[in-house]
Amino acid sequence: MITIEQLTYRYPDHAAPCLDDVSLAITPGSFTLMMGPSGSGKSTLLRCLNGLVPHFSGGEIAGSVRVLGEDALSAGPRVMSRHVGMVFQSPEAQFVLDRVEDEIAFALEHVGLPRSEMRLRVEEVLDLLDLAPLRDRELRTLSGGERQRVAIAAALALRPTILALDEPTSQLDPQSAEDVLQALVRLNSDLGLTVVLVEHRVERVLPFVDQVVVLDAAGHVRSGPPRTILPDVSLCPPVVEVARAYGWSPLPLSVKEARRFALGITPTPKPAVSAAPPQRGEPYLRITDLEAGYETKMILNNLSLNLWPGEIVVLMGRNGVGKSTLLRCIVGLLHPRRGNIWINGQNNKGRSVAAISRELACLPQEPDSLLFADSVAEELRVTLRNHGQPEREQVHELLSQLGLDQVATRYPRDLSVGQRQRVALGAITVTQPGGLLLDEPTRGLDYAAKAGLASLLRQWRNQGAAILLVTHDVEFSATVADRVLVLGRGGLVADGSPQSVLANSPLFAPQVARIFPGSGWLTVEDAVAWKG
Amino acid sequence: MNPSSTLLLHPLTWVTWLVVAITAITLTRNPFYLLTLLLLLALVAEVERPLGQMRPLDPILFAAFTMAIGGVFNLLTVHYGDTVIFHLPANWPLLGGPLTMEALVFGMTNGLVIGALIAAFGAFGAAMPVGALLRLVPRAFYPLAVVVAIAVTYVPLTLRHARQIREAQQLRGLQFRTWRDSLPLLLPLLIGGLERALQLAEALAARGFAADQVPKRLRLLLVAGLACLFAGLLLRIVWGYALLGAGIMVAGGLLAFMSLRAAGRRSRRSHYRHYTWGRNDALVLAGATLTFAALLLPWSGSGSLFYTPYPTLHVPAFEPLMALLLLGLLAPLLTRSGVR
Amino acid sequence: MYDRLLSAATIMLTTIIGVVAFLYPFWLPSVVASSSGIAHANDAPLLLTLIVGLSFIALLLEAQRAAEHALLIALLGVLVAMNAILRLINIALPLPGGFSPIFVLIILTGYLFGGNFGFLMGAMTLIVSALITGGVGAWLPYQMLTAGWVGLSAALCRGPVRLLGGAGSRGELLVLLLFGAFWGFGYGAIMNLWFWPFASGPLDQHYQAGIGLADTLRRYAAFYLATSLAWDLAAAIGNALLLAAFGAPILRVLRRFERRFAFVIRSRAISDCRL
Repeated sequence: MITIEQLTYRYPDHAAPCLDDVSLAITPGSFTLMMGPSGSGKSTLLRCLNGLVPHFSGGEIAGSVRVLGEDALSAGPRVMSRHVGMVFQSPEAQFVLDRVEDEIAFALEHVGLPRSEMRLRVEEVLDLLDLAPLRDRELRTLSGGERQRVAIAAALALRPTILALDEPTSQLDPQSAEDVLQALVRLNSDLGLTVVLVEHRVERVLPFVDQVVVLDAAGHVRSGPPRTILPDVSLCPPVVEVARAYGWSPLPLSVKEARRFALGITPTPKPAVSAAPPQRGEPYLRITDLEAGYETKMILNNLSLNLWPGEIVVLMGRNGVGKSTLLRCIVGLLHPRRGNIWINGQNNKGRSVAAISRELACLPQEPDSLLFADSVAEELRVTLRNHGQPEREQVHELLSQLGLDQVATRYPRDLSVGQRQRVALGAITVTQPGGLLLDEPTRGLDYAAKAGLASLLRQWRNQGAAILLVTHDVEFSATVADRVLVLGRGGLVADGSPQSVLANSPLFAPQVARIFPGSGWLTVEDAVAWKG
Repeated sequence: MNPSSTLLLHPLTWVTWLVVAITAITLTRNPFYLLTLLLLLALVAEVERPLGQMRPLDPILFAAFTMAIGGVFNLLTVHYGDTVIFHLPANWPLLGGPLTMEALVFGMTNGLVIGALIAAFGAFGAAMPVGALLRLVPRAFYPLAVVVAIAVTYVPLTLRHARQIREAQQLRGLQFRTWRDSLPLLLPLLIGGLERALQLAEALAARGFAADQVPKRLRLLLVAGLACLFAGLLLRIVWGYALLGAGIMVAGGLLAFMSLRAAGRRSRRSHYRHYTWGRNDALVLAGATLTFAALLLPWSGSGSLFYTPYPTLHVPAFEPLMALLLLGLLAPLLTRSGVR
Repeated sequence: MYDRLLSAATIMLTTIIGVVAFLYPFWLPSVVASSSGIAHANDAPLLLTLIVGLSFIALLLEAQRAAEHALLIALLGVLVAMNAILRLINIALPLPGGFSPIFVLIILTGYLFGGNFGFLMGAMTLIVSALITGGVGAWLPYQMLTAGWVGLSAALCRGPVRLLGGAGSRGELLVLLLFGAFWGFGYGAIMNLWFWPFASGPLDQHYQAGIGLADTLRRYAAFYLATSLAWDLAAAIGNALLLAAFGAPILRVLRRFERRFAFVIRSRAISDCRL
């Protein structure tokens, strides 16, 4: 169905090839997962399937890509759109029109399909993706997950036999991501649609995958069934990591499969650690009886919270429960109706956002909205100028701490997601605040970038910073948290050590805790440490 | 269910209605009729405005404004007419001389014309959703219609990003003291927009979108047609070859029309949304036809359309039947009964 | 070559028609006064409006060639959305006089990406902001055409810029700044002239008895001084200030991105990139 032979591709103005002698075959009706670190050319390889590369990117290409007998590289995206539907990362930047139904029909209108046929196809895809109740809605009123389902529907309206997706869930929260991935699994198993998926979040789909394609930084690929490929891949979901450490075979791909192996093991429960570092002295951030909301809607009432220097606290909770509202209150973007917030012993009332953020920096959900300077170092200096502070040695120290000294003169927007996030972190912490707030910092990051972020946060924590982290990412929370808070309707419903809050929670338990219930283990390290 | 629109009227019905309204406004200088038109257009605009959408401009207030400006300007600069109100010293440049009632009335009438035109477009704009308007774009301009559609879709998104960026920049200590402080807002917005444009373009291409080029032959035809039209016009007006000029203009018009038609034919797109003709359309078209006939057919009331206050101010003629026939433009209100 | 000739012919012809049409209040009365044309002068304004309309359509069709690629369509759409928002802010805030922030992007894109792109940028900005505010008015086509001209002519800055030091120099900024100031006046004057015949009504009543060409000119001058000079001055100063403050950084960003899609604009033959 898809045959790629000796494909080599080099971007314009790049010395090294992005794909180097890639050969690959994908059979009809299969589910293929492409993995690899950021910048390894996964997205580039995907874009070769419909000719976007090289028609859209330029550069030099050799070799062949045949899709259903068509030469994708010379046919180009217009012809290939009949065979390959493509869905992209951003849930906002792939729509032309403002209503669900019109958006799905757009491509059909463009090819001049008769109206009767169009109506049939639109109804079809609306049902396939459970979008019928949303058909008249405006796209901007939909959630990210719903929007990605509309994007899939719009791609399928042309009735392609192959659906290619480029990190469709990287901008979504776990629940929405789950919905999207489940839709993919259904399309593949019920309809026999060939799915090619580039994705970081592989836990959910691994059990359904027929073929894994792994790319490395040099542009080489290896491909095969997951159980033969995954054992040698460096960064994998926790199930696979644990299975490799314990030598389980055949390699389990889901928690359910792993549990069968784990039955034979009776782990000694890890001793419950008392709520981590010493909570003494004055808390860096103290919130008492906070009440906040928007015009008619009360979101938080009676919330109290303390954050001490030298601890990483993770705040979790479902969408819309008020996590972002809380952060906005703390930094002064939203004025609470009642209650007090003290930062470093000073009451927030009457202080400007700028004054507050000098002492408690906040990383917004979209770090890109911070960046606009011509170089990474300049990005840090802009903040210093904003605060009227002189430039010191400290800019360079911070850059090397962030691992950005090699790219200090580069244009920030040319860097990878993980690097851009670290630039943003630099831009908000260059004033040396005593505390740090992060809103969904793992969104869009691959395993390596997440690990880098975790070690950076631990380092700052050890230097005495007070860190509050808002996230949906359970696995990440399990690795970095000293204390976990769960926000329910109105206020906090749980506050305790990661073990006490996460390990036995049906909702928030990380994979390792699910494989070894009752062990108190949360992370791969816990499991590996016991094995010795 | 048929994917038809929530429109009660076919877009072309609204276009016809608008043409008749503009014809009426430009044909008459009778203040009574103009006032009638202004009021009825303001009423249609008010009724057709979607619930919850803010009123961009009160047409009646605006008309009062244009009347005042037009009246005062004409009063001060045109010193003609019999009913003198006041004399300014004759040695004042331009302003000097008699100020007359006639000039005031003439100027106010012109102001009223402008106010009424604005009201007509206001009503049309209130009644037509963007999607329906885009459908009216000729097929030869399909790529531009897509540009407009994208822009309209991205306006709310861009606004949201602007808010996001403002907050993010505040978090790094930006304080808005002077207008120059908007650069840290503007640049990320622009950069983000460009990045989104790249992504959107890929998504467009992946769905088979590609705009056709208009062939050189057709472009040449259009330019030739335009040149003929212009030459004909000059012949006719400046050099006095009335018939020859008219002939060349007709030929040029045909050329241009045919080239545009051929360019449109090349695009083979179809429409998902379907606008049907119904009883409501018949009603509105009938009303508009009635008004149109009253304006253009010669009858005893036709003379009352024309009015000039010069040389001696007099009360304009008023033909009740003419005013009544102008009310044919109110027909869209009838289709609304029971909706609100 | 043929292609460029055709483009040049279209732009020249439409510009001439535009100039003749918008100056008609000045030349038409003298034609009317001479005996030869008098019989047919009454339908002149209507015919001229028609021809200007068609010129606009021809220019749009010509400029549309800048939007032949999906990338440029997306780019235009997104930039126009931004500019339309700037215009909304302009409408909502009582800024001094004719000061409007929309011309910065129109001029810079016209200068950088070519006249056709600039034309579309100008014309589309006005139609989109009219659509989202529901303010589609009788003057919209004129506004679109005039704003389009601003973008179209911005490509002319390239010559002087090359002489004054090229991309990124102070000379570049100076040229753009003067150009912006020029169009601050120009846009106002052209819009006034489009407006003028509307304000005066049908021809037979328009040239009020006792008013000749000289008077028309004098009245126009008065009209301009009274209603527009301060307004246009603010527009010119505003354009120059905005370009001075934001021109260089915006150009830097646009140039960075231009590199990313330069391939698309430059070459279409895919065989070129086969190794």
